[in-house]
Amino acid sequence: MTGPHGVGIGWRPEIAGFVAELPGLRFVEVIAESVPAAGPPPDALVELRQRGVTVVPHGVRLSLGGAEPVEPARVAHLAAVAELVAAPLVSEHIAFVRAGGLEAGHLLPLPRTREAVDVVCANVARAQADLPVPIALEPIAALFDWPDDELDEAAFLSEILARTDALLLLDIANVHANAVNRGTDPLALLDRLPLERVAYVHVAGGAEQGGFYHDTHTDPVPAPVLDLLTELCERHRPPAVLLERDGRYPPAPDLRAELDAVAAATGFPLVT
Amino acid sequence: MSASPADGTDPTGDRPATPDIHRPPSGSLAARQAELVAALVAGGPPPPGFAPAPLAAARAALLRKRAGEVARHWPLLAAGLAPHWPATFIEWAADRPSVGGLRDGWDLARALHARHALPALGAEELAVREAAYRYDGDAAPRRRRRPAVGRAGGAVAVQLAGRVRLLRTAR
Amino acid sequence: MIELAADFDFDTWGVPSRTFLIIYLVATVVVVVGVLIFRRRTLTGRSAPPADQLGPQQVAYLTGGEDRAVWSSVSSLRSQGVLGVGPGGELTADGPLPTGATPLDQAVHYAASQRCSARQLRRTEWVTRALDQLRDGLSRHDLLVTPERRAALRLGTLLLAVMVALGVARIVAGIANDRPVWYLVFIVGALAVLTMVLFVRVPRRTRAADAALLNLRHRNRHLAPGSNPAYAVYGAAGTAMAVALYGTASLWALDPAFAQQADIQRETVTGGAGTVTGDGGTTAGAGGCGSSGGDSGGGGGCGGGGCGG
Repeated sequence: MTGPHGVGIGWRPEIAGFVAELPGLRFVEVIAESVPAAGPPPDALVELRQRGVTVVPHGVRLSLGGAEPVEPARVAHLAAVAELVAAPLVSEHIAFVRAGGLEAGHLLPLPRTREAVDVVCANVARAQADLPVPIALEPIAALFDWPDDELDEAAFLSEILARTDALLLLDIANVHANAVNRGTDPLALLDRLPLERVAYVHVAGGAEQGGFYHDTHTDPVPAPVLDLLTELCERHRPPAVLLERDGRYPPAPDLRAELDAVAAATGFPLVT
Repeated sequence: MSASPADGTDPTGDRPATPDIHRPPSGSLAARQAELVAALVAGGPPPPGFAPAPLAAARAALLRKRAGEVARHWPLLAAGLAPHWPATFIEWAADRPSVGGLRDGWDLARALHARHALPALGAEELAVREAAYRYDGDAAPRRRRRPAVGRAGGAVAVQLAGRVRLLRTAR
Repeated sequence: MIELAADFDFDTWGVPSRTFLIIYLVATVVVVVGVLIFRRRTLTGRSAPPADQLGPQQVAYLTGGEDRAVWSSVSSLRSQGVLGVGPGGELTADGPLPTGATPLDQAVHYAASQRCSARQLRRTEWVTRALDQLRDGLSRHDLLVTPERRAALRLGTLLLAVMVALGVARIVAGIANDRPVWYLVFIVGALAVLTMVLFVRVPRRTRAADAALLNLRHRNRHLAPGSNPAYAVYGAAGTAMAVALYGTASLWALDPAFAQQADIQRETVTGGAGTVTGDGGTTAGAGGCGSSGGDSGGGGGCGGGGCGG
């Protein structure tokens, strides 16, 4: 089993026929919660696996940043999906998605405090104990910050990565979104992150709305995000980069053009 | 097709019927996370210290995302309400925590039906769902085993042995 | 056979039971084999093209006949933005015919420009002609079994019916002569069942067509309504293929507002929670296309057949 390599795309049932037709594709991600733990995985994913395409389960509901311990059943599910698709690794977010019995329905940011670092590290350790493969952690795009941040983004992430032996799933669109919304320099963040720990990179589209940049995954990838991707590769090229699209899908030629643009920005071979 | 839960997005099948709100010590991270989620999805007061504008933007983004999810489960309802979807959903959902796309849409359709504001397409979709599933408004909908009739706004759907037929449209 | 052999006097029709049985059995096998070979040759569809050479409208005709071929064309034109619907449910042609349009597309587009309703399309002379053309092409390519060939198949089955009749007559005579007839009853019974099955089951499609459809269904699983396919990605051809394979549910999913306004037939609408089958129960306007007065069911008002309290 090989780690993710080259340009990939987030596999979604809605575009399964498109993904299946990409001749050079070596790597996809599947939303872990969409695959039943008892199997079988969707036929289209099985066929991709048979073609030698690496499938990485991407969790969105583990809530590793939740103050309550991560739920063992959710970790077990993620582990089961990893086994089902023979994944070399899984990924999740540095975020929380529920608290006090309420589901937020989205990834919410943590306060960048030492307490939150402790919480995340403890949950990652619990998850790692039950996962058959390494986990990569993805920093999220936050529309707001907590009032009591003690650390900046780079220090917060570096601390978590230093204390766990997790890999980094760097979402370059999230780096862009946070830099725009916080008014910070994205390159300064890239310079301070342990880029050699990056397992793969996410890239996605977004849009400005109401004075904020929203990481929508339903819009085209804007040029600054692609530029940032190139900057990243100039510092340290990650093994793989994956395009995430979650809705308002464009015609196939546009989607292919987007994959080509990602390949061009990173120097990876075309998959289309 | 499994009998339940009908919401395919979460095979671990959580979503408690009623949110069990436990109260961690105030000031702890758990308590503050709970306050934040309540403010974002349940109309709770904004937690102290947060900048209001970004929080409002996050709240609006969450509602838009929910509207998209509900539209995936209830495509005819959303299409029937267009161009007032997602505004209609967002207005209704603003202070209601999500119980999943399927149930959110169901609750909205019933609420619209009760105030005679359900469009024909939505009524047909609701009638079909009511015929196929038993939904008490609290727990996950369950597939009906026995023949059943679903009605909404003039639309009539009949379910026999799992097959649902729309007998009358809702014009 | 032993007790049959013992009955040498009073042979029915002057033919000993054993002799008759052997002759009858041989004749039956010969006729059955002959009929099956003829059937196989007629239904194989040897010169049929491979599945990937079938267009969506051909596939639609094979899976769901004329109706579905029309819906497939409608969905293709709609997804290319050249088909609209007016307030009275009449179709409109919103742009020039796209390149690569099939004769059926041209006919539907023209009918729409004449403000036909979706349900009237099939009865317009342009669409009828295009459908005839489509059907003839499918027959020529060994995908559809022509009515003449289906009649010939039924005729072949009549030979078997003659054998059954002969067997029955012998049984009746045998019973009258107080001869044992059980072997014959068993053979004639089996033959009767086979005859019935072959007579009733005369498929519209050749085996080659069935195999092609199976192949296409497998290859286009991503277009099944349950996957909630992103029709924009798959384009007009993908949308037309989705309707061809999975029915108007795909058209309803693609554009529910259009489907409702144009009164598109509801076949199987899957919405994640249950399957809908059936026709909306509405009636197509009887008048010719373009007649504004005779249109029912326009706007939100009550006019056509299916309205009540």
